[in-house]
Amino acid sequence: MKKLVSKILFLAFCCGAVSSAFAADTICFESRKGASEVTKHDIQPGLPNVKCSPKTGAVLWWGDPFEGTVPLGDMPLMGNILPGKAVVKPRSEKLAILPMCVTACHNGVTPPTLPKNKKPTPLPTMEGLLPDAKNLQHGRGGIWCLDCHHATQRNKLVDNYGDPISFDQPQLLCGKCHGDKLRDWRDGIHTKRIGEWATTGKKRWFVCTECHNPHNVQDGARNRGFPQIAPESPPQLPKGMKDAKHEHLPPVSH
Amino acid sequence: MAPEKTPQADPAQEQPTECTAQATSAEPLAADETTPSRRDFLKSGGMLSLMSLMGAGALMSTSDDAQAAIEWAEHFQGNYRLMTPQEKAEARARLEKRYSAEYGKKVTVDGTEAQPNVLMGYALNVRKCIGCRRCVKACVAENNQSRGSQPGERLEWIQVLKMERGEFSKEKMDHGYPEGLGIQVGGNAYTPAGAVLEGEYHYEPAAVPEKDATYMPIACMQCEKPPCVKICPVRTTYREPDGVVVIDYNWCIGCRMCMAACPYWARRFNLTNPVLPKEEMNPMTHYLGNRPRMRGVVEKCHWCLQRTRTQGRYPACVEVCPVGARKFGNLLDPQSEVSLILARKNVFRLKAELNTFPKFFYFYD
Repeated sequence: MKKLVSKILFLAFCCGAVSSAFAADTICFESRKGASEVTKHDIQPGLPNVKCSPKTGAVLWWGDPFEGTVPLGDMPLMGNILPGKAVVKPRSEKLAILPMCVTACHNGVTPPTLPKNKKPTPLPTMEGLLPDAKNLQHGRGGIWCLDCHHATQRNKLVDNYGDPISFDQPQLLCGKCHGDKLRDWRDGIHTKRIGEWATTGKKRWFVCTECHNPHNVQDGARNRGFPQIAPESPPQLPKGMKDAKHEHLPPVSH
Repeated sequence: MAPEKTPQADPAQEQPTECTAQATSAEPLAADETTPSRRDFLKSGGMLSLMSLMGAGALMSTSDDAQAAIEWAEHFQGNYRLMTPQEKAEARARLEKRYSAEYGKKVTVDGTEAQPNVLMGYALNVRKCIGCRRCVKACVAENNQSRGSQPGERLEWIQVLKMERGEFSKEKMDHGYPEGLGIQVGGNAYTPAGAVLEGEYHYEPAAVPEKDATYMPIACMQCEKPPCVKICPVRTTYREPDGVVVIDYNWCIGCRMCMAACPYWARRFNLTNPVLPKEEMNPMTHYLGNRPRMRGVVEKCHWCLQRTRTQGRYPACVEVCPVGARKFGNLLDPQSEVSLILARKNVFRLKAELNTFPKFFYFYD
């Protein structure tokens, strides 16, 4: 009897393995759509790396919060961040055209059409490559591409002195203007962190661009900096209640 | 489980001998004619109770079903707070055995006690919350709530309330002061929002946040002076030394007094047998935390004790929040996120006038 059961279990396991091998990978997004994504798999048998929402595809639960992370890196003027306790997920692998950015077109050479001063000028080749470049929703017309992107090293961002910044450390760039937010980000107030909650614990920090799309932070009338996303399903209605229309009635005076 | 049954059975069988001893000790005093009948009555009563207890004992010893024995032992366990460490370990081992059999996987029931110099605190940025309800669903994925489809079978500990953003706008300037409201209790002069905290729980737009909406997630506030603890007639809900208000589900009698006492609508009742599919069950549990509940007990948020105490990890809702509105930390550590928020931001507590002293703070920047 036991042998039979074990055989059946073995068969079922094989079938499961085969079907899972053929099934398409479930890819879930972590904060907002279009930023960090993660492919669902099992860390141990029965323990998934993430649990995803069946409705929206958002990650709801992390089995291992530090999967695929690298150390935060050097953070000048950022105070006492304990070494090894702060990790981030590299952004570079999510940015599709980043690898060809510098080698394909410019390769360290200053383009002849580049303006000599800081004044914005149309960059037809770049606008052809990125149609949204003309419609920058950030800074209300006060900034343009090369305030954030390096002029010659297009796979880098730029700091106040014209030195390149890695795409994995966008906080160094954003903090140029949003200093108060950078301070709150350093202290864990304006940020999302997962991992160990103790002050000295190991945490995965989410960097600016994992939550904000820097080209579209104004986002119309809402003006909150975070894109609109689909909500999860509402709570269950009480027994006998058909709908929740009563919630739309004007407030009753008591 | 056989050796554990006998200590339970022994005191039960000793009890009737005490009763009969009392009856015999009363014998010399009773020298009257009427006494034999009384004595007979007592004797027969004693015999009856002895026999019934023996029957119960026999039932226990003859049952081969380990499950039944576990349930029997569970039925006679004391209040978790009053148990010795040994008894606590036995109770947890019993549960581990029962849950592992029930859910078909290795389930751990942890009992990590509160750590010294820790007072847990929570902060939520109401201006950042976009009302996506991911915290609600993450909580369900972590904490083994019932998730059936029938009424009363779907329990969620976090509620997200959508409110109209109060604003002094030009269109409303001529509307005058609200009529019928004696005392202004919320909103502003033109929009009397919040008379009884009106809002929407069942909103379902295509995308959030909506324009001019403010979202306010509400769950257990882990009060320093919790009304639920004051009112619990069996003292099964109590405040732990690290500040979390917990429930010993086995000792709960399901009277729901705590639900009536809670001013924050934080407690949920298992009206039906909880519906928890085996594959969705989270096997890492804590005795006072997310272990599967039974019908007829109250449950509520406990700041993911199985994570915060055992693994040292953030609660599930803190990790999932896509806008980073939720913050968790040690209030006794001046460098923790929550302490820095209290020092730096505009903070308020929900219904502060009730003097419940929540350790859940709302803030905005």
